[in-house]
Amino acid sequence: MQCPIDSWRSSTWRFVGRVLAVFVALQSAALAATAFYGVDLKGHPVMLSQSTAPAIVLFFTASDCPISNRYEPEMLRLEKEFAPSGVEFWWVYPNPEDTVTTIRRHEVQFPGSAHVIRDTQQTLIQSAHATVTPEAAIFVRRSGTLREVYHGRIDDRYISFGEERPQAMHHELEAAIAAVLAGRPVRQPGGPPVGCSIVPLEVVSSHR
Amino acid sequence: MTPAPSYLRIAAVALGLGIIYAAGLRIAVRASEAPVTFNRQIAPILYKNCTTCHHPGGGGPFSLLTYEEVRRRAPQIVQVTASRFMPPWLPEHGYGDFADERRLSSDEIVLIQKWVSAGMPRGDDPAPPVPHYNETWGLGKPDLILTIQRPATLPASGSDIFLNFVLPYPLDKTHYIRAMEIRPGTPQVVHHANVLIDRTGSWRRAHPDNWRDGVPGMELIVDAGDTFDPDSHFLFWKPDTPVLIEAPGMPWRLDPGNDLILNMHLKPSGKPETIDAQIGLYFSEKPPTKQPMLLQLEHDGALDIPPGDSDFVVEDQLKLPVDVDVLGVYPHAHYLGKDLQGYAILPDGKKTWLIWIRDWDIDRQSVYRYRKPVYLPKGTTIHMRYTYDNSSGNVRNPNDPPIRVRAGNRSVDEMGHLWLQVLPVNMPPHSPDPRLLLEAAWMQDRLRKAPNDTLALYNLAAALTAEGKYADAAQTYKKVVGIDPNDARAWNGLGVALENSSDWQNAQQAFEKASAADPALTDATFNLAKSQLDHGDASAADQSFRAVLRQSPNDAAAHSGLAQALLREGNQETAQAEFQSALRIDPQNLDALEGLGQIALNSGQSTLALDLLGRASQRNPDDPIIRQQLALAYAQSGRYADALGQLKEALRLSPDDPQVHAMLSQVVEATGDLRQAIAEQQKALDLNSSDADGWNNLGVLEARSGNAAAAREDFEHALRIAPNHVAAKANLARLNTGAKAQ
Repeated sequence: MQCPIDSWRSSTWRFVGRVLAVFVALQSAALAATAFYGVDLKGHPVMLSQSTAPAIVLFFTASDCPISNRYEPEMLRLEKEFAPSGVEFWWVYPNPEDTVTTIRRHEVQFPGSAHVIRDTQQTLIQSAHATVTPEAAIFVRRSGTLREVYHGRIDDRYISFGEERPQAMHHELEAAIAAVLAGRPVRQPGGPPVGCSIVPLEVVSSHR
Repeated sequence: MTPAPSYLRIAAVALGLGIIYAAGLRIAVRASEAPVTFNRQIAPILYKNCTTCHHPGGGGPFSLLTYEEVRRRAPQIVQVTASRFMPPWLPEHGYGDFADERRLSSDEIVLIQKWVSAGMPRGDDPAPPVPHYNETWGLGKPDLILTIQRPATLPASGSDIFLNFVLPYPLDKTHYIRAMEIRPGTPQVVHHANVLIDRTGSWRRAHPDNWRDGVPGMELIVDAGDTFDPDSHFLFWKPDTPVLIEAPGMPWRLDPGNDLILNMHLKPSGKPETIDAQIGLYFSEKPPTKQPMLLQLEHDGALDIPPGDSDFVVEDQLKLPVDVDVLGVYPHAHYLGKDLQGYAILPDGKKTWLIWIRDWDIDRQSVYRYRKPVYLPKGTTIHMRYTYDNSSGNVRNPNDPPIRVRAGNRSVDEMGHLWLQVLPVNMPPHSPDPRLLLEAAWMQDRLRKAPNDTLALYNLAAALTAEGKYADAAQTYKKVVGIDPNDARAWNGLGVALENSSDWQNAQQAFEKASAADPALTDATFNLAKSQLDHGDASAADQSFRAVLRQSPNDAAAHSGLAQALLREGNQETAQAEFQSALRIDPQNLDALEGLGQIALNSGQSTLALDLLGRASQRNPDDPIIRQQLALAYAQSGRYADALGQLKEALRLSPDDPQVHAMLSQVVEATGDLRQAIAEQQKALDLNSSDADGWNNLGVLEARSGNAAAAREDFEHALRIAPNHVAAKANLARLNTGAKAQ
């Protein structure tokens, strides 16, 4: 589906499915100025909202999710491809179980990007509408606020559990980042993300 | 000879559990208000169906042992159980009754959904005991642990990889294996693994540079060697089958020089992984009492799938020449396989399903064992019917866009195999090995599809040879060399078949052609030498055995053969040295023990002869000739009772051998029983009346017993056969002059 950034407010299909989700993202963008941050492994907040990058890409990931782990090389490849263009990449750990120690241990096993943050209040998954790991989101700055222009799967290698292509046919996130940089309309992914459910904060607290 | 798949066995699961659950479940469903809790209903379902893989260190990607671990994965568990992606189980329920069926009931799936909807309560009931999984060897320390020679590295990303590692069997003694455990090192990245037995080390020789590092390839062909020894067991590993325990009476065998080949399907994990697999073997004292066999249906030659075709069918069938029990089944295809069916049409026309997989997934392939053996009588036709999807609608299609796909070893190629483990049953006693009939039927099936399939022709010819059908075997070998005149092994096989059809002149030509086609095939030179020796050309045999020894100086049989040729040439001293060389290489070499024993006997060294021939007889207790030689050695040392014992054994083994009766006559004569001696010599002459020496000996015995008339007749009989028989002439002269015959 085509979703030109500059015309989406007036889009007549905004109440349909995926467009609605994008619309909701837009609504939440007002919060972004204050709540759009993660916590680095030293405990310092990283204010993503203050970034001046042409695009911010979030990779939602988890230390104990095999599909996320399998995507590590692909996520690193994308960072390597687009970091020179100024795109910022963040590996976001949203699950409550992923403590600093756990993440450090995981980073030793899967040496990845230096850009690692925890989503301790799960505000990033809400802003990005992420539900599983691995999942990606792209934010761009429009009129002073960050707006989500893409969220969902990284590519179409996994169709569902048990349905997996030998390799991806469509590198959807890659195409979306390229589109943002070129000022072209961003195409949303053609299917749902497949991976491990993100563990909500309240579930953990209500049983502890 | 054949690519081999393998077997699985699931850690025993209490069957009763399923019934208890089903009952508990009905209550839960009916009384919908009763809370579904982890402790009461969910944990038992998971412990029965999931945690054999999903435990720390297990083959599953994460653990599901604790309440917290399950809650963390709960939405996923709902999703994958509802879609029946988990637990992994491909066969359609009701189309083959499998011992290790791992499948949730619909009620169990609903229960999991209800539990998650209700907020995943832990419950107040006591928690069921958490199953314990061995982190070390499942059956305790194995008798032998084999490790891959060099750990390999699986790249962090990319498509799945198929690697083959060679693990040589290092012992110098045959062992029977009652159980095997494969420890793949990092089970999370291993989809499945197969172990093949390479009896001849052929695969290692074919990959001299990289067999230690792992050689890519999905399927492999190994050389089965000279003896009929078909693959018999599925040696298969998948994440939930840590130990493979063979059925009673069915261990498998490893001989010195054998290799195990570990064929692994590996899935990149996102980080480089070290593949450092081990195989643990548990020995059995007892050799097998039952000999199963693996049979294959396939029609890879028909695999030629046009791009875009979503319904391409490949079929094969095999008619059983004997009654069998089917013990297990292993369907196999690559990524385009869609619907896989195996079934049998019985002689009465009734259809019996062996397996049906409606949505094939190579990642979850497995061997399936039947709960009870499936009996199929002789005359049953087994069918394979596989459907392939080479359209872009098949997400697993490795080619984008789809291309024409044929059979092959790479993951972008296709395969269609239905392997069965069968146990021949209802064979009358003393009938030939029924596996030979199965092998012949299998190969004839292959030839029906591809008349010039040289592998099938060769194997068929080998089976016919083993069945003793030498003329048919020779015809079949001739077809092979007609297609491929450079097939040295087929020429050699032809030689063996001709030699056994008493056409030794053509046999020798065939052996020569084999050597010309492949000078390194010393078997052919050896066979030529043996034929030359057996057919009276000792000097040619001498040269041929020396040719074998130039290439294989440690071939004990060739040293013995050369020694036998030298004996025939009258060169006893050099013969003795060659026999001794053979014994240094192989202390049990039968020909050398026998040959040296014979030489000792001839030179009157009866103690040495007794030692050597005694060892030979121990090595081969059923050889009547060795028994006779041993009897001679005993007689030479004056131990007539022992000599008698050996001759009686020889007589038991070959009752109609006149030579044994003649020897028996001599020995009983030496003990003073003249009457018995005469009777045995008469028996010998009844069996072979043209033996002049025998008639002369009988005459002597008759003369000693005072029957001059009979003696005279016997001497005259000997002289009618051999008019110049010196002893008979002399004896007759004595008799005529009234002197006592000596």
